Amino acid sequence: MSITDSQRPHRPHTVTAIVVSHDGSRWLGETLEALLRQTRPVDRVVGVDNGSRDGSAALLTGALGSRAVLTLPRSTGFGEAVAEVLDKLGPGGGQEWIWLLHDDCAPDVNALRILLEAAEADPRAAVLGPKLRDWLDRRILLEVGVTVDRTGRRNTGLEAREFDQGQYDGIRDVLSVSTAGMLIRRDVWDEVGGLDPALPLFRDDLDLCWRVRAVGYRVQNVTRAVAWHAEAATRRRRRITASGDHPRRLDRRNALFVVMANLPLRPLLWALVRNAFGSIFRTVLFLVAKQPANALDEFLAFGSVFGHPIRMIRARRVRAKGRRQAYAAISRLLTPPGAGYRRLVDRVQNYLAGGGFVESEGRHQAVAASPHPQQEDGEELLTDAGVIQRVFGNPGVLLFLALALVTLIAERALTGGARLGGGALVPVIGGASDLWDLYRESYHQTGLGTDAWAPPYVAVLAVLSTVLFGKTWLAVSLLLLGCVPLAGISAYAATRSMIPGRWRRVWLASSYALLPVATGAVAAGRLGTAVVFVLLPVYAALATTVLAGERRRARRAAWGLGLLLAVGTAFAPLVYPLTAILGALAALAFPRRGVAVSMLVAFAVPVVLLFPWLAQLVADPKRLLLEAGLHQPALVDPGLPAQSLLMLSPGGPGMPPLWVTGGLIAACLLALLMRRNRMVIAVGWGVALFGVLVAILVSRTPVTSINGDVEAPAWPGVPLAFAATGMLVVAALTADRVVEFRAAGGLRRLAALGVVLVAFSTPLLAAGMWITEGVNGPIRGTVRDVMPALAAVNSAGGERTLLLRTSPNGLLFTVLRGRTPVIGEADIPVPEGPRERVRVATAGLVSGRGGDDARVLAAHGVRFVVMTAPVDAAISAALDSQPSLARMSLSRSVGVWRLTQPIAVPVTPPGDPWHSRWPWVQAALVLVVLVLAAPGSGTESDQPTAPQDLPKSRRELAPR
Amino acid sequence: MKSLIENRFSLLVLVLVALLALYGVASATQPQAVATPAPQMQKVPVASVTTVCPSPGDTSVGVVAPPGSRAQGTAALVTGDRTLATLDTPGRLWHEKIPASSPPLVITATGSMAAGLEVAQTRKEKSGRQRGLAGVRCTEPVASTWLVGPGPAAAEVTLYLTNADLAPAIAEIMVYSGEGPVVADSGGVLTLKPGENRSIKVRDLAPSALVLAIQVRTSSGRVTAAARAIMNGGRGVDWLPASAEPATRVVVPGIPGGGGKRELLVASDAEVDTLVEVRALTPDGTYALKGRELVEVPAGSVATLDLSTGIGGQPSALVLTSETPIVAGLVATGTGAKVDVAFTAGADPVDLGSVVADNRTGGKVTSRLLLTAPDMAGKVSVQVVPRKGEPGEPFQVDISASRTKQVKLPKVDGVFAVVVQPMPGSGPVYGGRVMEERRKGGPALTVQPLAAARMWALIPPIAESAATVLP
Repeated sequence: MSITDSQRPHRPHTVTAIVVSHDGSRWLGETLEALLRQTRPVDRVVGVDNGSRDGSAALLTGALGSRAVLTLPRSTGFGEAVAEVLDKLGPGGGQEWIWLLHDDCAPDVNALRILLEAAEADPRAAVLGPKLRDWLDRRILLEVGVTVDRTGRRNTGLEAREFDQGQYDGIRDVLSVSTAGMLIRRDVWDEVGGLDPALPLFRDDLDLCWRVRAVGYRVQNVTRAVAWHAEAATRRRRRITASGDHPRRLDRRNALFVVMANLPLRPLLWALVRNAFGSIFRTVLFLVAKQPANALDEFLAFGSVFGHPIRMIRARRVRAKGRRQAYAAISRLLTPPGAGYRRLVDRVQNYLAGGGFVESEGRHQAVAASPHPQQEDGEELLTDAGVIQRVFGNPGVLLFLALALVTLIAERALTGGARLGGGALVPVIGGASDLWDLYRESYHQTGLGTDAWAPPYVAVLAVLSTVLFGKTWLAVSLLLLGCVPLAGISAYAATRSMIPGRWRRVWLASSYALLPVATGAVAAGRLGTAVVFVLLPVYAALATTVLAGERRRARRAAWGLGLLLAVGTAFAPLVYPLTAILGALAALAFPRRGVAVSMLVAFAVPVVLLFPWLAQLVADPKRLLLEAGLHQPALVDPGLPAQSLLMLSPGGPGMPPLWVTGGLIAACLLALLMRRNRMVIAVGWGVALFGVLVAILVSRTPVTSINGDVEAPAWPGVPLAFAATGMLVVAALTADRVVEFRAAGGLRRLAALGVVLVAFSTPLLAAGMWITEGVNGPIRGTVRDVMPALAAVNSAGGERTLLLRTSPNGLLFTVLRGRTPVIGEADIPVPEGPRERVRVATAGLVSGRGGDDARVLAAHGVRFVVMTAPVDAAISAALDSQPSLARMSLSRSVGVWRLTQPIAVPVTPPGDPWHSRWPWVQAALVLVVLVLAAPGSGTESDQPTAPQDLPKSRRELAPR
Repeated sequence: MKSLIENRFSLLVLVLVALLALYGVASATQPQAVATPAPQMQKVPVASVTTVCPSPGDTSVGVVAPPGSRAQGTAALVTGDRTLATLDTPGRLWHEKIPASSPPLVITATGSMAAGLEVAQTRKEKSGRQRGLAGVRCTEPVASTWLVGPGPAAAEVTLYLTNADLAPAIAEIMVYSGEGPVVADSGGVLTLKPGENRSIKVRDLAPSALVLAIQVRTSSGRVTAAARAIMNGGRGVDWLPASAEPATRVVVPGIPGGGGKRELLVASDAEVDTLVEVRALTPDGTYALKGRELVEVPAGSVATLDLSTGIGGQPSALVLTSETPIVAGLVATGTGAKVDVAFTAGADPVDLGSVVADNRTGGKVTSRLLLTAPDMAGKVSVQVVPRKGEPGEPFQVDISASRTKQVKLPKVDGVFAVVVQPMPGSGPVYGGRVMEERRKGGPALTVQPLAAARMWALIPPIAESAATVLP
C-alpha cells in the first residue's frame, strides 16, 4: 500500500521502542519476543517497569539487559513513564520514531516494517497504529482506529466480537489509535507535548492523537500491521494503581474532559449543553436499569469535569496554542451525530430480545451469550410446540377460557348493556379524562362540593381506562365482571412456584375463582372486592418470595408486593391490616436476614403511596371495613349465620347454596391427615382460621356509610377470600397423595377417586349454580340515567340538581351537578354543614310547608328538583304546591321542577393546591417503586459479576 | 409446637376445635333480627302559604290563622294593586267586605300567619240573579283541580282561573259530561302570565251538558281554579268546592239534612267503565240505600244518582268505593218557593286539623258542623275564634264509628272562625260546615267541606345518599 514519494529527501528512520510493563509477566515474555523478532529490528529499545510485583522487571532485564530498563514507582502513569524515558534518552539519528508498546501487546513480526512503510508513503502521517486483535481469540478484531463523539463516547466502528476478515483493510485516516503499538514521530511528540500527565489512564491516546491532528499531522491506522492485545487493565486482569478512582468513573471523566478540552469554542458550547442533559439522562437511565454504581459514576464524572472550570480552561489554553488544523478536518472523523440514535435503537432491540438495557457496543469480550438462561418456572410456556398448540395445550389458558365462558353465560343479563351499575356500583359514566380530572382537581365541585381527597382507586381506574381507549365502562366491566376468570388465571399463575402439578393448580384456581365471594362481589357490584380478589393470589406468591426467596429477588418481590398492596388497599382498605398482621407474624415465625426489612418495605409502600387519603380514612377507622362503592344495608346480611361464615359465604346477593363449598372444606380437612408438608398445612390452616375470625368480626361490626346516611354491618368478603386462599393452598399441596393412592390401586384407588370427586364438586357445582341462576343481584347491565336531559342541558353553568327518590326507609336525595357521579365521586366525603342544610331544606320542600327552603337550595346552586321513578303523588303534589318551584315536566317516571328564583352558582373555592400536586408525587413514587420492583437489567446475583460492569473504554495498559 | 404440628391427628383436632370455637363465637354474636320501626313522618308548621279568592267583589272575606303560634309572621291581602290589609296576629279573625268588582284577592302569608291560614269568601244576596247564600274556600295554587257540579244546561257556570305565582302557567281544562269527555274547540289549553286571571264561561266549552266534572291541570306552573254555578230559573247560586283528587275511595262529607233534592255526581277519567258502591253514613249509622248502592260510571263521564229519598233528609256523608279512581260531588237543593243550592264534594280527612274561616250564627243564620268518622270512632276538639275578643275554650266532640255527627256551633256575636283539631287516638274524620239562613221563601244555604288545614306539613324521613342514582 505504500507509495514511495521520490521527491522526499531520504532521511533514515530510527525507531526507539518503549515497552511499559506493570504486573504483566503473563504477557510480557511473548511481547518481548515479538518485539525482538521484528523483521525490521528496532534501533533502540527501552523497558520501563512501573513497580511490578510479579517479576516483570526481571523479564525485561533478561531480554533487554539491565541498562535498557528503567524502574519507576508503582503509581506512575503510562504517559509519565514514556516521558521519563524520553527525558533520559537523547535524540536518535535521522527521522526518529517512537514505538510505544504495552506489556500485553504483542506485535506481528512484520508490524514495524509495515508501519514504517506507511510512514514513508505519507510524510504527513505522524502517528501510525496497527490493527489490534484479541490476544486469546486471535481472529477477533479489537480496534482499527478509534473515534469519539461530542459526548465523549468512544466508537471503534466495530460490532462486538467481530471477526477480522479483512473487511476494514487499508490505510485509514482515523482520529486516534491506541497507544498499544503506536508509532509516533519523536519531533511531533515533542511538539505537542506528549501524553498529558493529567490523564494517567484512559483517553490519553485520544487526547494525544487529537492534538497531533490539530497541529496538522495525520493519524493513520495501518491494518496490514497487526498486534495482539490482551487489554489487561480494561478487563480487570490486573489492578490499576495509577489512580484511586474506579476505572469506569475515570474513563467517563477523562472522556468528557478530552472532548471539552479539544473542541473549538463554538462546538464546545453545544457539546456543553448536550453533555449536561445527556449525563443527567444517562444517570436516570442507569438508575432505571438498576445500575446505581454506573449512575453514580456517570454523575460524579460529570460533576468532576464541570466542577473544575479552571482546570478545563488551562487545558484548553495549552491545546489552543498548537491548534492549526481547521476543526472541519477533525469533525469529519468524529462519530457522526446519527450514530447516537442508531445506538438507541440497538439498545432497545437488545432490551426487547431479553438482554439488559445497557449497551454492549464496543465492549471487549463482552460475553456474547446471555448470561442467565432465563429459567422460567412457567415450564409449559417454553415447550417448543407451535403457537396454537402451545396456547391451547396450556391448562392455564384452558382454565381461563372455561371460566370466561362460564362468566359470560352467567352474566348474560349484564353484558352488552348501556350502563353498568347497581348495588355498590354507581352507574358508570364518563371517560378516563373525567377520572383524571376528578383525581387531580383541588376542589370537587361534584354534589355539594368538597375539598376531601379523592380515593386513589380512581387513579388506578383512570390508568386502566386510558389504556382501554379512555373507556371507563370497559375498565370497570373488565375488573368487576371479569373478576372470576382473572382471579382464576392469577391464582393459577401465582401458585406456579408453590404447588407442583398443573391439574392441582387448575383445581385450586377454579375453586378460588368461583368462591361465593366472587359471585357475591359481581352480583352486588363490589368493584373493590373484585380487584382484591384478583390480587390476593399474587400477594400470596409475592409474600412467599419475600419470605423464602433469594435475597435480591425477595427485596424486589417486597417492592412489588408493596405496590400491589397499595392498589388493593385503595380498592378495599381492609386488605392492608389483614396482610400486615399476617406479614408481621410470618416475619416473626420465619426469621431470615433481610426479611424484616423486606416486610417493612412491603408495608411502608402502600402507606406512603396512599398517604393523604389513608390519613383521611384512618380518621374514621370503621371505614377501613368498607370498600370502593356505596355501602348499603341491602347488600349485606345483617344477621349472617355462623355456618355461612364457616362455609366461606359472605352473605348478601349472589350467594350459591351453602353446601356448594362443602367439598372444598372437606378436602382441606382431609389434608390435615397427610404426613408431608406439615408446616405449610399448619400455616395454611392458620391463615384460614384467621380469615374466618376476621370475617366474623367484620360481619358483626356495624359501619356507617361515608356520608352517614345508613348503618349496616360490613361485608366479610375480603377476609373470607383470605381464608379460602389458605385452605386451597393446603389442599392443593397435599394432592400428590391422591395420585399415590390412585397408583396403589384397590380400596385406596376408590378413596382417591372419592376425594377427587369431592374436591372437584366445589368448582363444578359453583359454576353450574352460577350459570343456572345467573347473576342474581342488584347490579344491572342497563341502568337508566336518572339525570333528565331537561335538567342536564340547562345546567351547563354549574347549576345543581336535587334528585329525590322514595325508598322503603323514607326519602333519599342527592345533589348532582349536570350529570350523575362518575365512579369514585360518591366515595368522597362531603362536609356535614352544607349537607345538613340542604337536607333540612329538601325536607321542607317535599313536605310542602313553603318557607324559604327554596332560598337555601338556591344559595347552594340548586336549579332543578328532580323526582325519579317511582314518582310519589304526595311528594309531587307537595312540590307542585311550592310557589318557589315551577314544574317543567311530570310523568309517572320522572318529575322535573325548576326554582323560580334566581340561583347563585357557588364559586369554586381555591381548595388545597396539594390535591393537584400530590398525583404527580404519587406518580413519581410509583415509578420509583416500579423500577425497584422490576427485575433488573443486570445479572441475577447468582451470576458472577464479570465483564458486565466494565466501562466502555478500553484503555488497557495500566500504567504504573 | 413442632410435635403438635407433626402429629397427624393433633393438628386435625386442633383445627376442628378452632372451627368449633369460631362457630360458637359467630353464633353468639349473631345479631337478632330487629324489626326496624317504620319511619315516622315529622310534623312541621307550614311556613308560607298563598291563597286566592277567585271573585271577592261584593263578598265578605274572612281570614284567620289558628291561635297558638308565637312566631313572627305576616299575611298580606292584595287585590289587584291594592293591599287591603297586612295581618300579623294568629288567632284573630279578619273579616271585611270587599268592594264590588275587585280582581282576585291574593293572600300571601309567611311564618306564624301561614300555619293553618284559612280564607273564605261568602256572599249573601236577598234578590237578583245571585240571590242566595254562596261561599267558597279560597284555595292555593295547585297543579290539578277537580270541580264537579251542574253543567251549562242546568246552570250558568263560570270558571275562574288565577295564576298568583311568579312563573307563567300553562293550564289545560278537561271537561267530562254525562255523555263522556267534551273536546273543546280551543283544545282547552291556555297560558296565564304571572298574576293573570281569567274567567271562562263553561258554556263555551261544553254547551249542552247537564252535569259535568272539570279538571284544570297545568303542564307547567300552578293556578287556582274555582267555579260558580248560578242555577237556571232562579234556583239559587253557589260555588263548586274543589273535589278531592281521583281515588278509589272517596268520602263526600257535609250533606245537609232537611228536605230537598240531593243529587250525587260521580265522575271518572279512567278509560274503562266502573261500578261505584255508595254507602251513606248518617247520625244513626250506615244507611242502606235501597237498591241504589251501585252506580255505574261510564268511562270518562259523569254519572248521577238521586239520593233525595235515600238518605231520608238526615245530615250525612257518603262513602264511595270503586275499582278505578273517581271524583265525586253533590248538589243539595233547599226547599221552599225560592230555593237555594249548595255543593259539597269529595274531601280529605282532617288529620292535621281544619279551619273554617267564615261562619255566622245568630238571628236567622245557623251554622253547624257535620263530622263523619267512616272507619274508627273519631274525637276532635272544636274551638271558636270570634272576630272580636279572645278565642273560646275548645270543646271535645266524639263521633262514633261509621256515624255522622251534627254539631251546632254556639251563638257568637258576629262572624267567627272554627278550628277543628283531631285528638290523639282518633280515627280519620271528615267533615263539612253547613250555613243556613231562614228566609221567607225557603232557607238559603251553603256548604263547605272541611279541608285539611295547612297548619302542619309532614316531613318524610329523608337522607342524603348517592344510592339515589342507582336503578
